[in-house]
Amino acid sequence: MTPDDDFAAAEFALGSLSPGERAALAARRLREPDLDEAIRAWEERLAPLAEAAPPIEPSHDLLPAIERRLRAAAPSAAQPTAAADPTVLALRRSLTRWRTGAIAASCVAALLAIGFALRETTRERTPREYVAILQKDAASPAFEVTVNLDRQELTVRPVAAEAPPGKSYELWIIDAKLGAPRSLGVIGGTPRAASLSAYDRAVVENATYAVTVEPPGGSPNGKPSGPPVFVGKLIPVGS
Amino acid sequence: MRRVAARDDAAFRALYRQTSAKLYGIVFRILPHKDAAAEALQEAYVRIWQRAADFDVAKGSPLAWMATIARNRALDEVRRVRPASLQDMPDSFEPAAEPIDPLAARDRSERLAALIACLERLDDDKRAILMLAYYHGASREALAKRFGRPVPTIKTWLRRGLAQLRDCLSS
Repeated sequence: MTPDDDFAAAEFALGSLSPGERAALAARRLREPDLDEAIRAWEERLAPLAEAAPPIEPSHDLLPAIERRLRAAAPSAAQPTAAADPTVLALRRSLTRWRTGAIAASCVAALLAIGFALRETTRERTPREYVAILQKDAASPAFEVTVNLDRQELTVRPVAAEAPPGKSYELWIIDAKLGAPRSLGVIGGTPRAASLSAYDRAVVENATYAVTVEPPGGSPNGKPSGPPVFVGKLIPVGS
Repeated sequence: MRRVAARDDAAFRALYRQTSAKLYGIVFRILPHKDAAAEALQEAYVRIWQRAADFDVAKGSPLAWMATIARNRALDEVRRVRPASLQDMPDSFEPAAEPIDPLAARDRSERLAALIACLERLDDDKRAILMLAYYHGASREALAKRFGRPVPTIKTWLRRGLAQLRDCLSS
């Protein structure tokens, strides 16, 4: 641990780094255990200050909202083996079907991805970006998903998708390591961001991203209600 | 925290009731926007629930551990949403309106008391920039603006202040 790195770790814990420096350090700590340890040590040194911060009462509807999120995440924890789950089997079957039809589609997707990649990289210099086009077939791209690994964040933008009347679209991350599909939230006509911080980098990179049709407001039980209508996988863009 | 780690809903609700105002106070000062702060707080509690088993009582109080999770969420978010927050800093970032002076804290845990004793040894300016960065997520650039000093000077102050703090705490 160089003195410079220890100072960077201290500033990370303190909160004074610029966005770029913070993102760069967040990425480095994943690969450098010493740096990670130094950040933790500084967080522990400074954490008692939090006790001296005067409280502010949050809105009352926050606890129910948190409990809804926990319930949405719970089924996957309760069922680590997803193989027997009929919904997952249905998802897998339709994914297989999709893959067979996807070879032609992937050419279009690749072209689209290049277009998006150019747009993304010119707009901001973000170090590690991925893009996926979620689509039913080559002619109908529906959603563009971009993932920034440094920010552990996913952004989904509608390309040409409108949910059927009285229904909602919900986005899922699907990977064998996760067991059951995990919800990334209800998506609609406007761009939306979701945190990926709960998932390993390998899962984020290799997962299938899928959209299902759900009752208004999303799946009532945290599981997909039917097979996906749009699916895609990430392609790296930029450097 | 053990009961939360064991997925005890009632324990989680009790933990939320005891800590949410404290954590929201921490998050909102860094992210002074109601919706964004509420979102960051929600994410923080989901993470607390998921990681409760990782909490190590030897390394500090549960509140300190939870506060670190909440602060990191807020800092990530404020850097993402407002990378160019310099312009609107002076408004949302007016510490004089509500100074947080840990030195005035009445109920001091042992660890807070030790930290305060070390903070008291710093110059006023060095202590002030550390507090503004910790409680408001103020970047070096924002601090430079506020103190009317060049960024390298602020960096030096931060570096010396943090080094003094570390040496004092380990002595």
